[in-house]
Amino acid sequence: MIKILEPSPFTYFAREKFFPFFLKLEMDSLPNGTATTTTATPAAPTAPAPAPPSSRLVHLAESLKLEHQFLRVPFEHYKKTIRANHRVVEKEVSAVICGVSEAADSDVSNDDAVHHLSSLVSRLQGLKRKLEEGSRTENLQAQRCRARLDHLESADAENLSDWNNMRLKRILVDYMLRMSYYDTAAKLAESSNIQDLVDIDVFQEAKKVIDALQNKEVAPALVWCTDNKSRLKKSKSKFEFQLRLQEFIELVRAENNLRAITYARKYLAPWGATHMKELQRVMATLAFRSNTECTTYKVLFESKQWDFLVDQFKQEFCKLYGMTLEPLLNIYLQAGLSALKTPYCYEDDCTKEDPLSQESFRKLALPLPYSKQHHSKLVCYITKELMDTENPPQVLPNGYVYSAKALKEMAKKNNDKITCPRTGLVCNYSELVKAYIS
Amino acid sequence: MELDIIKDAFDRISKKQKLSSSKSQEVIDLVGLEVEQALGKFQSAHDPTSPVDQKSVLTDLKLKLNAIGPLHQLEGSQKELNLNLSKYQKLLEKFLNPDISKAYRNVDFDFHIVNQIVAVHFYRQGLFDLGDSLLNEAGEPEATALKSQFLDLHQIIEAVRVRNLEPALKWACTNREKLKQNSSNVELKLHRLQFVEILQKGTRTDALNYARAYLTPFASLHMEEIQKLMACLLWAGRLDRSPYHEMTSPTHWDNLTEELTQEFCSLLGQSYVSPLSVAIAAGVEGLPTLLKLSNVMSAKKQEWLAMKQLPVPVELGKEFQFHSIFVCPVSRDQGSEENPPMLMPCLHVLCKQSIMKLSKSSTRTFKCPYCPAEVSFAQCRQLYF
Ligand SMILES: [Zn+2]
Ligand SMILES: [Zn+2]
Repeated sequence: MIKILEPSPFTYFAREKFFPFFLKLEMDSLPNGTATTTTATPAAPTAPAPAPPSSRLVHLAESLKLEHQFLRVPFEHYKKTIRANHRVVEKEVSAVICGVSEAADSDVSNDDAVHHLSSLVSRLQGLKRKLEEGSRTENLQAQRCRARLDHLESADAENLSDWNNMRLKRILVDYMLRMSYYDTAAKLAESSNIQDLVDIDVFQEAKKVIDALQNKEVAPALVWCTDNKSRLKKSKSKFEFQLRLQEFIELVRAENNLRAITYARKYLAPWGATHMKELQRVMATLAFRSNTECTTYKVLFESKQWDFLVDQFKQEFCKLYGMTLEPLLNIYLQAGLSALKTPYCYEDDCTKEDPLSQESFRKLALPLPYSKQHHSKLVCYITKELMDTENPPQVLPNGYVYSAKALKEMAKKNNDKITCPRTGLVCNYSELVKAYIS
Repeated sequence: MELDIIKDAFDRISKKQKLSSSKSQEVIDLVGLEVEQALGKFQSAHDPTSPVDQKSVLTDLKLKLNAIGPLHQLEGSQKELNLNLSKYQKLLEKFLNPDISKAYRNVDFDFHIVNQIVAVHFYRQGLFDLGDSLLNEAGEPEATALKSQFLDLHQIIEAVRVRNLEPALKWACTNREKLKQNSSNVELKLHRLQFVEILQKGTRTDALNYARAYLTPFASLHMEEIQKLMACLLWAGRLDRSPYHEMTSPTHWDNLTEELTQEFCSLLGQSYVSPLSVAIAAGVEGLPTLLKLSNVMSAKKQEWLAMKQLPVPVELGKEFQFHSIFVCPVSRDQGSEENPPMLMPCLHVLCKQSIMKLSKSSTRTFKCPYCPAEVSFAQCRQLYF
């Protein structure tokens, strides 16, 4: 038997519309290695096979890898408490040692020595109480870290839908905390009993600073900077500088020039080495004052600078705790809408079950790319079920296609007569043909 | 994911943390003890004949404290703890994706819209307080219309839960025409449940009266069903021991609740499942692929932002397939109005452009790429999915 070697169908058409590096990704996912074979084996392509049952679990394992923030945030919190507690102990113990040394090196009366040593004893007692309380907090936070690990572990095929519901709730709490909708966030966490799985207490810390900044107060933000000095320095954050600049601007606004200059010498000058340009710009406001019309300086006096500081703080805060800068909701929503978006979604007959049939979701998806398919995905117009090998597509004489299941059902009910629901055409069940779609 | 490894690493941390805590306690106690002992020497020495040499007591104490080296001890235990802490963080970064926002496009994502979506999501789940609270806290306008509709739904469902069908029947009656257009027979199902309920708890006459009033209008379309129900009259009061005992099953109530919700949402023009849940679930499934893609594309940030279509497929489960998408197996192009799928006489399907190419613009016959059949363009016909 002579077999004519035919080039693979893929070589008929140039595929250069893809960037070269996608080619690799694409080729990998092509079935049967058709892209590289040169012998075209004529085989009837089958309808897309249903996903194997294990794919659920593969998806689950993949989705758990997205939960970095879920584990990281309570861990950062825990770490922070450990460090702070340690610092207190270190500080107090060395104060006691110093106290003893000083007393030993100076001439004190007997009474003074007794008095001094008693005060050291009570200081140590106070430290002990503090330490006990600190350990309690540490243990609670360790429990929370543990609870999250257990929660991730608890996800399996049986409880998947409950687990997914809970994940949505966690994502919603995260969104509301980041948007400063604290009451609603707390209500949702409480009513769903997921307090250990969300970061309400962590955000309490942010709330203090944000509230103050919204009231045009920098003090709590500065305290926060001091508390996190070493880590902010490591990430080369200039948030403290920005706060200082704002304080300076407020002094200029109040025409408190002398104080402004003293302030600048003390708090701005140290940043000169790394941020000279900004420093100079802000110093120039002394000459222009707050009623300046010069746009370069005018903006510095605008109240939206405070909003900018709030945004800046939120970013620093998220970075410090290992959170994503965007709310999780936005990240998942964007990914989901991109994966769901097809040109058909914006047509009138988009099914209601598709989120993209709704105006609000359509608007959000507008700037996102359409999804791409490598293989046909056919949904039966009648049953809305996927047509695959088990439930193959069948063609009516007018070219309209429905699932075998739907048509069989219809034939059974109507004496083997088939009525096309979209055109009204009536035909016999025997006139249908199966279509092979790969 | 290697959860076990992560868990073990965490256990080591919490062990070291407890160790470090007790070490701190120990050091404080030691220092305290020495200080108290020195203090004791002063206090016990009230005998004026042999005054304590305060200087030597204090110097002694100083030396003793130096010998304990409390700060050194504290540092030692903390160091070990720190080592474990940074190990754990590295493990998290290794086994989980430390930045899932990598594939995020910094496009305008209107948070007012998101707030409305979340509030409606709460309403449809019956969490009316939460929905109100959110809109209030966010300073968004109220979504009064949708809220009151979902309020109606939840009142109906709540009543059904306590076996009160009245609100459901009232709703079905008001919406009879629309339900008919949807070819829903939920109203009949409601009356059937009510009838069975009367048969079990009321008298035969009550049941008969109910059937005459409410079931007969359905007789023309559902004769078989009605006959069966009337036969049930024979077993009034002991239906559970009759051939029709299946009718008393509580699953009918659950199924009806589901169907009611479905029909109710459908009449509202809403989906049965919360669209927010669907979109997020799709996001969870699709994000790993998008993150891989953004890694590959990280050098081409501009192309990533400018693309109109994802360059690779993001495989989603069956439940996310809402549209028929035909992909030509030859050209890999997605079917469209200009380039529709066509059925060849051998029953294989290609897109029109591919067939045009193979047939040299329909001037000659060609061999199907999937079987030995000879095909001419004229034999092919367009398909509609
Ligand atoms: Zn759609
Ligand atoms: Zn063929």
